[in-house]
Amino acid sequence: APALVRPAHARATTVTIASLLGEDKPETKIWRRVADVVEARLPGRFRFNIVANGALGGEKEVAESVRLGAVQASLSTMSSLSGWVPQVQILDLPFLYRDAAHVRRVVEGGIGADLRQQLAEQGFIVGGFIDYGARHLLTKQPVTRPQQLRGVKIRVIQSPLHQKLWSAFAAVPVGIPITETYNALSTGVADAMDLTKSAYAGFKLYEVVPFLTETGHIRASGVVYFGSAFWSGLSDEERGVLGTAVSEGASYFNQLIVDDEKASMQQVEAGGGTVFAPEMPEAWLEGAQTVWGDLADVVGGMEKIKAAQGA
Amino acid sequence: MAQAVEAALGTLAALLLAALLAIVLCSVVMRYVFHTGFVGVEELCIWLHVALIAAAAPLGLDGPLAMRMDLLSRRLPEQWRFAAADGFSIVAGLVFLFGGGEIMALLGGTSPALGLPEWIRFGFVGASGLMLLVVLALKRLSQGRELCLGVSLASGVAIYLAIPLLSVDTGLPASLFLALVAALGLLSAAPLPHAFLAAAYVAIAFGGGLPEPAIVSTAVSGMSKFLLLAIPFFLLAGGLLTVSGAAGRLVRFAETLVGHRRAGLAQTTLLTSVFFSGASGSSVANAAFGASTFYPELVRKGYAPERAGAIIAATSVLDNVIPPSIAFLLLAAATQLSVGSLLVGGFFAGGLMALCLAFAIHFSAGDPGTAPRATAAQCRQALASALPALGLGIIVVAGIRFGVITTTEAAAVAAAYTLLLSLAASGRPVHAFASFRQAAAEAAAIGLLIGTAAPFAFLLALDDIAGLVSRCVSMLGGGAFAVLLLSNLVLLTAGLVLDIGAAILLLGPILLPAAVAAGIDPVQFGVIVVVNLMIHGLTPPIGILIYVVSGVTRVSPTALFGAVLPYLAALLFALVVLCAFALLF
Ligand code: NA
Ligand code: NA
Repeated sequence: APALVRPAHARATTVTIASLLGEDKPETKIWRRVADVVEARLPGRFRFNIVANGALGGEKEVAESVRLGAVQASLSTMSSLSGWVPQVQILDLPFLYRDAAHVRRVVEGGIGADLRQQLAEQGFIVGGFIDYGARHLLTKQPVTRPQQLRGVKIRVIQSPLHQKLWSAFAAVPVGIPITETYNALSTGVADAMDLTKSAYAGFKLYEVVPFLTETGHIRASGVVYFGSAFWSGLSDEERGVLGTAVSEGASYFNQLIVDDEKASMQQVEAGGGTVFAPEMPEAWLEGAQTVWGDLADVVGGMEKIKAAQGA
Repeated sequence: MAQAVEAALGTLAALLLAALLAIVLCSVVMRYVFHTGFVGVEELCIWLHVALIAAAAPLGLDGPLAMRMDLLSRRLPEQWRFAAADGFSIVAGLVFLFGGGEIMALLGGTSPALGLPEWIRFGFVGASGLMLLVVLALKRLSQGRELCLGVSLASGVAIYLAIPLLSVDTGLPASLFLALVAALGLLSAAPLPHAFLAAAYVAIAFGGGLPEPAIVSTAVSGMSKFLLLAIPFFLLAGGLLTVSGAAGRLVRFAETLVGHRRAGLAQTTLLTSVFFSGASGSSVANAAFGASTFYPELVRKGYAPERAGAIIAATSVLDNVIPPSIAFLLLAAATQLSVGSLLVGGFFAGGLMALCLAFAIHFSAGDPGTAPRATAAQCRQALASALPALGLGIIVVAGIRFGVITTTEAAAVAAAYTLLLSLAASGRPVHAFASFRQAAAEAAAIGLLIGTAAPFAFLLALDDIAGLVSRCVSMLGGGAFAVLLLSNLVLLTAGLVLDIGAAILLLGPILLPAAVAAGIDPVQFGVIVVVNLMIHGLTPPIGILIYVVSGVTRVSPTALFGAVLPYLAALLFALVVLCAFALLF
């Protein structure tokens, strides 16, 4: 084979980016936008290789690949990074945040700055915080009060935080991969689960768990991030351009999610799904606070949780 | 010495499998009896499964589990037969060993569910690399191949050390070089997983996007799926089905139904294979069972040996199409398709294939004598004694499809059920333990393949080969017919040289998006992919089912490849019907 060893700066730097979902989803659209913006400002400097559809693995595998240098940037929910920085779970604490604006204030304040610092120490350079929307309770039978969850088999993700939350309501957690969830719910391996509205519609889960209770118990927060080895190899100018593009991209992503939720709920209603408002907020909060107590030491103390609550 | 190390690894793997079975069953019981669950069970099982694969992987160096294609190496002098192949194995062992070591330093993080450092899971694989090198060296020394070992060790280490120093910029995708080096490994008779791993490492020099530790982490991630845990359980169930004698009662029941027809014993072989398939997920187990059970009977009744072996091999294809099926598990793990829906598709496809095979047997096998028609009473009696084994299939399929448990749990319940049957039958746990060891070794071979195919799949994704395929398809008009035709041609060609499992893992994710874009139902397409590739269990050069039957019956593979042609034709006809169905409905 002809060996042409050229100096590295003579060609575009390849930036491999992993997206979990397809081209039409916010998870991929954000990177198309970032790539366009960067190309306009620094023509020919970077080649963005955006690999969609989860072809490079799930969130946690992608984060591992970023640390080992096979992927340079991606999006992640907080829980997938909690193995490296347990403190990120403060953004996942149930019934702590009232709405998206509340979360925004927290990540733009001192707590967000601390998290950026802690993630950077673990090799993840945060380009911006993102909001995937709130997780809601999805059930086969209407559930508006926590007592109704007693003994209900609920599909949970592999996260102690989530498992503790549902155990606090005496539900039975069952671990099922998301691809098998539709089947498991339709056959009764599980009777309930929780998910964001977009994903609820995306997986057509309203066909098997037609009742959505707007608990909004966990606001699914995440970050857009770069690997630190890649980041530290960039010039100041490149960092400036990429950083701005990604920060703008994060806002774009958040807007896409809001729009997507609206469209998703129209699809859910047309598909026969019913939306309920939760009752007895203090009972929901009571269960959630056992999780706050369990995780207080991990996320930086109860004062920090109270500070986030009051932000 | 080599044997002692292998025996220790085999026992360790069998114990890990037993522990996995106990944990999964416990979690089912906890959920349904005590209405509670454990935190971290899933993660713990995944880690133990990786440990199982790591422990038993060095056992797959020889025999049918090695997935070696020895067409060329067979012509080399005895002493030098493994020289080139072992070079690949040594590079693979070094990549696991040192890549795993680098991960320990680089990965960081703690498993939130288990509270243990994440690197442990990767450390298993590092240790496995070391054991692979040890077992390989001891084996070659005990075979008196010191010189051969010296040469492969020197070349393997030299290549391992040279690659980081090389940088070849050809402008061509790195996955192409990976494929070429893997093909070279295949031709030199290296075990396919070792060829994949060594090739992924060599691809670094060609601008491959996967540094050494990332190769290992991608491989371990490939193995780390809860769904894949069903594989050792289904293999165990298949093995215990035979040990327990339940499979023998399936034979008698099938005989009362079809034994009196033309080519009655051959039809009984087919129908037994259908029943066996409903309980087992492994075509290899089915072929091994058929070869040890039916072959002597078929030959005694006057079937030519190669004809008898061919019928057994061909009917074993059904096992991976009729649910439960390891092939569907692999496809679901690689493509996000739901196992449940694939299983329903598999029922119809398997039924169709069985029908086509019944016709082929009817017209090809001659009529070497048939059994008298069974009376209704004999039928009922045979049915009653076969019920325990038939019940197994119902547990598994109903459990997954209509019921109460996930696929992995259903597989565990099936394994536990056959374990009880075999303990009840013989009362001697020794036989059962041998089945655990055998299942663990087979599961490790499959798991290693899944893992080592993952870096390849990663590079294919980086190079956007799926996009290339869909652009080719749109050049052909982009219609469903064009996609199906192209896909089947790609699969039929790739299946000739790739192991079935590897082909599913690599090609499934590449072809599926194009099929979906052309409006083909993804589940129907998935069934077509599996049926197409399973047929390659019967084609040269690496038709695994032929080799398994040949291994048990001592009929030469060449004779079997010839005799299997009519059944191959019948299965291809079934494939065409399935494709036509996918186009029309
Ligand atoms: Na089967
Ligand atoms: Na068979």
